[in-house]
Amino acid sequence: MTQTTRIKRFSTLERLFHLFLMLTFLIQAATGFGRFFITTSWGKSLTSIFGGYETTALIHHWVGVIMIIGFLLHILYLITRIKWKGFGKSIFGPDSLVPNLQDVRHLWQKVLWFFGLGSPPRFDRWTYWEKFDYWAVFWGLPLLAITGLMLIYPMVASRIVPGWALNVAALLHRAEAILATAYIFMIHFFIGHLRPSSFPMNEGMFSGSITIEEAMEEKPAWVERIKKDGNLELAMAKPPARWYRGVYFIFGYSALAFGVYLLINGIAYSRYIRLH
Amino acid sequence: MLAELLLIPGPAPCQEEVASSIRRYKEHEVSTGFYEEYEARPRHQRPFVGVPGVRRGLFPYSPSAASVRSRIRLADSHRAIKFYWGRRCEDCHITETRDIHTTRANLTCRQCHGGEPIASIEHYYSPLNPIRKHAYVCAKCHEGASASYSSYIVHQPPPGSLATRKSFPVLFYAYWLMIVLLAGTLAFFIPHSILVGLRELFRKRGKAKK
Repeated sequence: MTQTTRIKRFSTLERLFHLFLMLTFLIQAATGFGRFFITTSWGKSLTSIFGGYETTALIHHWVGVIMIIGFLLHILYLITRIKWKGFGKSIFGPDSLVPNLQDVRHLWQKVLWFFGLGSPPRFDRWTYWEKFDYWAVFWGLPLLAITGLMLIYPMVASRIVPGWALNVAALLHRAEAILATAYIFMIHFFIGHLRPSSFPMNEGMFSGSITIEEAMEEKPAWVERIKKDGNLELAMAKPPARWYRGVYFIFGYSALAFGVYLLINGIAYSRYIRLH
Repeated sequence: MLAELLLIPGPAPCQEEVASSIRRYKEHEVSTGFYEEYEARPRHQRPFVGVPGVRRGLFPYSPSAASVRSRIRLADSHRAIKFYWGRRCEDCHITETRDIHTTRANLTCRQCHGGEPIASIEHYYSPLNPIRKHAYVCAKCHEGASASYSSYIVHQPPPGSLATRKSFPVLFYAYWLMIVLLAGTLAFFIPHSILVGLRELFRKRGKAKK
């Protein structure tokens, strides 16, 4: 890789959160799919990796609890990120992931650009689909957590809610899991790996920085804002080490391959199970 | 009295001596007061009289009451079904054999519903009557099952069907909410991704030419 100016995009902690989510999500997807498809041959072989149906359930429960802890830590992290002095700007400003009217405008510009009817939107730090990614996890995880805890502890749950709520919880847990896996294994992977401008891999989430050319092309408003504030020197970052690049390429592509494997088999075997 | 004691046989065998199971059932009906609805023909409509727990609209009985059959309170829920002895549970109860309890835990019907005659779940003495189901059936495997816990619907209806909207509305709406969410997300993002991909592909080519 040639020496180019790089601009910092994600802090180490943010990347650790993403790595944590990747690992736990894939484990949950594999163990969850294994149990969901247990009546099929694929489900049986998938659960046998984890040591059978019972052990797979145990892993699924434990990793779920770990995910909940991670989510709570993330909430704590979010609280530290809020600038209480300029609260409104901190929440609705361009560095925030909270959706605002600008995103609607960008989406409209993007649609026009698809059909050659206008110039591409000048994104700031976060594009609307990146914000969608974030909030999809943000509401999906608590839903999975609450329904999941209800299903781990049905006796306790049925003391608080009627027992038939477990039917609803199981349905919501599965539906949300299918939604999340479908979204991640199709849309998120496409955006991160296969989209021509990020092919073969959007490295920002692993190396923590992107080249300034890429930033100018993808997020011109963001680079301009940094320049205007005179923070460009502060935002500079070193390129990732060669070995580290190799590690995250292998890791990223393993995750991609595993996700696509789950997705294809999930679709193929969905005929043989009752989906609800 | 001595002659009576000596000559008349004891009462025990007499009680079992009945002509047919139908006759025994009728006697059971008379003694317990449980009737099938079609047997108890109302002379005129009684719009607000219904079977507890079962809704059949504002007018639970048809004017003739002839087509109304309810089996939910019988001691033998399969009473008078032709060739019952030659049938298997799944011949009629198809979807009920595809529940998590049967496909995953490999439970058989009899493990919960008991042996013949299988009582209707609303029958007063049925082990599956909601007043005792948790203790008599659920707690066999789920230790500590409460009455609330046992209101889990084992034979869950297909959540998307219109019948479920009446019988289990929360499930129905949760299902369709999630379907709309899934379909909406994918309907937006799949074309979006394809268009992004195509557009960027052509932009890249244009740049390469330059």
